[in-house]
Amino acid sequence: MRRAGALPWLLLLPALLPLCAFIVYPALESLRLSLHEVAPFSGRAAFVGLENYRLLAGSPEYAHCARVSLLFLVYTAAPSVLIGLGVALALDANPFFSGLLRTLFVLPVSISSAMAAMLWIFLYNPTAGYLNRILELAGIAGPNWLGDPRWALPAVAIATVWKEFGFNVIFFLAGLASVPPELTEAARLDGAGPWARFRHVTLPILSPTLFFVTVVSVINSFQSFGQIHILTGGGPAGRTDTLVYNLYRDAFVHFRTGYASAQAVVLFVIILAATAIQFRLAQRRVHYG
Amino acid sequence: MTGTSHGVGVELDKVQKRFGAATILHELSLSVNPGEFMVLVGPSGCGKSTALRLVAGLEEPTAGTVSIGGRVVNDVDPKDRGVAMVFQSYALYPHMSVRENLAFSLKLAGLAKSTIEERVREAVRALSLEEHLDRRPSQLSGGQKQRVAMGRAMVRHPKVFLFDEPLSNLDAQLRVKMRAEISLLHRKLRSTAIYVTHDQVEAMTLADRIAVMRGGRIEQVGPPLEVFHQPKTQFVASFIGTPSMNFVPADLLPRGAAPASAKTAGFRPESVRIDGKAAGVALGAASVALIEPLGTGAHVHLRLGEHALTAEARADAAPAAGKKVEASVEAKDLFFFDAEGARVA
Repeated sequence: MRRAGALPWLLLLPALLPLCAFIVYPALESLRLSLHEVAPFSGRAAFVGLENYRLLAGSPEYAHCARVSLLFLVYTAAPSVLIGLGVALALDANPFFSGLLRTLFVLPVSISSAMAAMLWIFLYNPTAGYLNRILELAGIAGPNWLGDPRWALPAVAIATVWKEFGFNVIFFLAGLASVPPELTEAARLDGAGPWARFRHVTLPILSPTLFFVTVVSVINSFQSFGQIHILTGGGPAGRTDTLVYNLYRDAFVHFRTGYASAQAVVLFVIILAATAIQFRLAQRRVHYG
Repeated sequence: MTGTSHGVGVELDKVQKRFGAATILHELSLSVNPGEFMVLVGPSGCGKSTALRLVAGLEEPTAGTVSIGGRVVNDVDPKDRGVAMVFQSYALYPHMSVRENLAFSLKLAGLAKSTIEERVREAVRALSLEEHLDRRPSQLSGGQKQRVAMGRAMVRHPKVFLFDEPLSNLDAQLRVKMRAEISLLHRKLRSTAIYVTHDQVEAMTLADRIAVMRGGRIEQVGPPLEVFHQPKTQFVASFIGTPSMNFVPADLLPRGAAPASAKTAGFRPESVRIDGKAAGVALGAASVALIEPLGTGAHVHLRLGEHALTAEARADAAPAAGKKVEASVEAKDLFFFDAEGARVA
């Protein structure tokens, strides 16, 4: 066989270079820094072994952030998958205005997190915000959404779901388009009502899409930052202080680079474990062709 | 045996189906007798599949009524019509094993586990699927998938079987085999069957009666041989029979051979004499354009002036390409059609 020579590497270079520069190098550097105590601004680092990890393991603050992240995961991943699926099913079943509605539902995905967060700041404003005004019309006194410790995390989660479920709609619509219509027709003749058709035909065929969307939603939830930063800044009283937000604060506010790098590594392991668990759970339930 | 189920009559009465501005079926009426094997045959887009889907309940008629067993079923859900359908693409549930595919409708119907097992066993035995029960559809060949699709229809003990071009995805050899299996199964089950195909050989070999469709209308209904020997229109004459009937302008025939109202004369390839023994009606000198040997016989493609004709000959007696032959046909083998395509003699 003829040797391919350097050409394949040359062709891969435009993709490999940014990948190495922005993913591989920072990841390896994070791993290295997590084993060091780094002096702010000087670049000097002293090797401390697993000290940063030991500190993390014993930190009640970090445990609190992990709990907030888990809660945020429950508030965002499941709703954005379920709402995305529901909206996609409704759009798929109803061809009227489908193009317009698809655009409307998918629109939030295309705007930046910062812009979306600003929009929700206006909506959530306790006195002038539309949300409380609407509640007022119904005779309900709306809370201080972003200032009340009980409501802050759900409020940020609502904004996050609104921003992200459209992404899931796109994938579910593509998945639904791959369900052969004669399968649902065969199921109708077999005596399956709408729920049985969904449960026994549509859902199994959609399972690879559902699995992908779930994995991505879980990862997105763990990595959510922009909206938390703008809407609450981790507050009030640390109620929206997620793992990523805590990491950001330690890295760029407190300049504890080594400690923050250890958090980055731990977060990576958490996401990896969460994904592995999902793969394991899905093994028997996802049907590929 | 599943063969204890008995068919019921199916009646389409002035059924019309429109999709937006397009009319797919024009006041179509058709009566299928209990236990009969009716084949709807016609070219693509003639509305035969739509007619079948109306019987299944997968489409609603725009006008007219569909009756099964004497009961109007326009508003009856597909599952309650007592029909089972075999789809062109088989429509097997890809995530279920063969066993689960067969049992699915019975589970939904809430039948006892023992009844479900018994019915699945019957179908599996009848269709020789024993070895494949735990396989997924993706692990089956085209013929095996076809059998599972038929089994899925059988286990329900339907009063009417509907087949939507079930053999068109199979290779030629398997198609012939499955065609025979379907025919044998129908003889055993004696359920009513409505079978849609564009393949007139399937129609001829399977049907008790054929309905030839064109442009959303039925052109002729009758037993296969009657439709073959007594076509009512030029379209039916051209569609039924392989190779297709030859058509020439009636005035090409010798004076007095065609009735005055005839515009077109038709004759089947097997009626054309090119062996030098002239038949009653001379067609004239034709040149041999192409020979298609088929084993014992051959199709001989002829040029008769500007007209293309096909004749059948014994392979060992077929003339060579380029040769001139005298073509003729017996008067009794001629069909005549008027300008609208209706048969006049």
